[in-house]
Amino acid sequence: MTLLICGMGGIIVAGVLIAQRGRTMFIRRIPGLTAIDEAVGRATEMGRPVFFSPGLDGISITTLQALAILSYITKLAATQGARVIVGLRDPTVLPVAEESVREAFTAVGRSEDHRPEDVRFVSDDQFAYALGTVGLMQREKVATNFFFGGFYAEALILTENGQALGALQVAGTPDPTQIPFFIATCDYVVIGDEYYAATAYLTREPTLTGSLVGQDISKAMIVGLIVLGIGLATVLGGVTTHNFLLNLLAQGR
Amino acid sequence: MEETAGQTFWQRMQQIPRYYVYLLLAAVVVWQLLMPIRLPIVPSSATTGLYDAIKAAPDDKLIIISTDWDASTQAETGPQTQAVINACFQLKKRFVIMNMQPPMGVKLSNDIALAVGKQYGARYGIDWANWGYKYGYGNVLMALAKDIPKAIGDDFDGKPATTLPLMKGVKDIKSISLVIEITGLSGMTESWIGLIQGPYQVPFASAYTAVMAPGYYPFLDSGQMKGMLVGAKGAAEMEALVKRPGSATTIMNVQSWAHVLIIVLIVLGNVGYVLSRSRRGERAR
Amino acid sequence: MTQGALVLRIVASLVGSFVLLYILHRVLGPRGRRWLIAIVTFAGGLFYGLEWYFPVHGHPAKNFLTDYIEPVSNMLAVVAAFTVGLGIYSLCQVHGRNVARQRPGWYNSLAFFVAMVAMFTFGLWEHYLHLPEPAPAVLPWPKAIYEVLFSGLFVPLQAATFSLLAFYIASAAYRAFRIRSAEAALMMTAAFIVMLGQVPIGAWLTDAIPHTPVLGFFRLEKLGEWVLRWLNTPAQRGILFGVAVGALAMSLRVWLSLERGTFFSEQS
Repeated sequence: MTLLICGMGGIIVAGVLIAQRGRTMFIRRIPGLTAIDEAVGRATEMGRPVFFSPGLDGISITTLQALAILSYITKLAATQGARVIVGLRDPTVLPVAEESVREAFTAVGRSEDHRPEDVRFVSDDQFAYALGTVGLMQREKVATNFFFGGFYAEALILTENGQALGALQVAGTPDPTQIPFFIATCDYVVIGDEYYAATAYLTREPTLTGSLVGQDISKAMIVGLIVLGIGLATVLGGVTTHNFLLNLLAQGR
Repeated sequence: MEETAGQTFWQRMQQIPRYYVYLLLAAVVVWQLLMPIRLPIVPSSATTGLYDAIKAAPDDKLIIISTDWDASTQAETGPQTQAVINACFQLKKRFVIMNMQPPMGVKLSNDIALAVGKQYGARYGIDWANWGYKYGYGNVLMALAKDIPKAIGDDFDGKPATTLPLMKGVKDIKSISLVIEITGLSGMTESWIGLIQGPYQVPFASAYTAVMAPGYYPFLDSGQMKGMLVGAKGAAEMEALVKRPGSATTIMNVQSWAHVLIIVLIVLGNVGYVLSRSRRGERAR
Repeated sequence: MTQGALVLRIVASLVGSFVLLYILHRVLGPRGRRWLIAIVTFAGGLFYGLEWYFPVHGHPAKNFLTDYIEPVSNMLAVVAAFTVGLGIYSLCQVHGRNVARQRPGWYNSLAFFVAMVAMFTFGLWEHYLHLPEPAPAVLPWPKAIYEVLFSGLFVPLQAATFSLLAFYIASAAYRAFRIRSAEAALMMTAAFIVMLGQVPIGAWLTDAIPHTPVLGFFRLEKLGEWVLRWLNTPAQRGILFGVAVGALAMSLRVWLSLERGTFFSEQS
């Protein structure tokens, strides 16, 4: 199992190194991410703010990816003169989100438009966060909602109320549990590992696109292992002692 | 309310104001709570798997019931916890409750264990115990695997856990016969399976809210989980297995008719959609 | 260690940390800070990775890093606790401004302060003072107020908010589920089977079908379980694999400071 993880890690790093040498990598279109530009444009035209929620997790891989997307959206909105309101549930994310938004405004030369109070901690409690965020969306009359990150039961409360407000909604989460609710209530949804491809897709930076290609090769490798496993299980007919693949993968560390 | 003037009947059927939908649902819930129509509950293989796992747990080891839920999911996870604790007492298996996230769950599950324990004459510290809330779940699990008394420290009441008779001889994860995770949060199961079930081959079972359960069938299918309770239905099935009908059985009556109402509304909306499209097609011709 | 010595050690650590961070902030420029963040990130990831993969020995089984897991976890918990204070400060700032400037809806911000102070006061009072019960089964009044606030208000409010989901899913399902294509029709059929199979009414509707191996499959609860186990599970597994590989790639990018934008700033 360690070898498998190290192998996949090696492939991903190799993808990064190859991309950094200047090789162009193809990424297919992801409608949810392509819609971000349209969504921010809508808010600018309507003169109403954009709302962004990076989910309910603390500092985790999911939240870091959400903050990277926030950075992109903020730069876009700042360039067009739209306001971005960020509602946070975990206080550990607050300083990182504040820094992200401030740097985004500075990067496009609009630091004077930056409003520190627009990045707000709402509540540590899941449903108090949901209700506080809904109140925020209604008072500020947001035109566009972005929900990227780890969401749980409160997702439907957020998106259904956003839908009732008439906001354009784009959501993305790696956790499949809430995806059905996002699909029923949002205009665009980014599903599963498309979520982790977001920064590569939006910035087209060689490092990130190379990592994405490395991911795809790793997934192809897993598919190959599954096919090999099915073949071995079929041939050996349930006798697991000679199934070297099963024995290899069953080792814990 | 949505604008309905100038729309055909079929178009209006697709746009029933949401307030009427809410009222209908509320009416169905109240009707079933006041005049329940009792329907049979058939335990699924996932639920019987969990029950059998409790039954098969050696008597000289402890079962850990990790109650990682709070008041928001109490309608499902509360009856699940009650049913699992009932099963443990009935099958005379010693168990401990613990909680890693959110902290509220440990008090709520403690209240349930006290209430159920009274029915069986169970003694705290001998038949069951509450290890309390432990912060930092990944690190807690890693510490639990190697040295349980050190990882746990004090119990829910603030007394050193090692003073409890139940903890005599409990050293590390080998002293645990089964882990049952009852939660409404994602991510807890992956930690238990990755840090405890996988490396140390400790039997693992779980109980989830109905919304998150479909995502955990792969673990059940692969044998990493021995059994699973799915929402209030799983709790009701467990209540049927331990022959102690409780709140989950009541909830299932209500849920049955709520599902029927939602199906009827979806069908109405689709009938309106199909017929308004065909009428539009006829007019175009 | 005496309590005084412990308090002194805590205060000294806090002051020392602030001084060190201040010096680093002044001495290191933006580039230097980026390198420091990258080094600390790498060291943190390396610590946990090494502890997991390095061979263990003895009883309890451990390696040279295992004993440091607990102090590092405690350190992370302390840092997280500080950010709770940061969150409270942010809330007080926002709501305090609303009250001071009498913005529309300022009374809601006032309610926030009243609720926060009440919960804080009676929660700590109840926990730390251990007041005796005035009479059997009668709570001391601070504990009684805490119970009203927590068990009487907070817990039912949480449960009530969660119950809103039932209404929202009904309206969302009614509004969104339209059979616009063959795939949608297939999805709808599967949804109906699972929805009915998951509740007793499904078993009741197909109760006439006997529990035999062949015919019993068509009972709604069996059909629903089949859809969940044999159609849903492979799809979920596929998504899980994809997400896990994506998370591995993202983790590597963060660990090696390859992720640009937010926290590692633009490539220089």
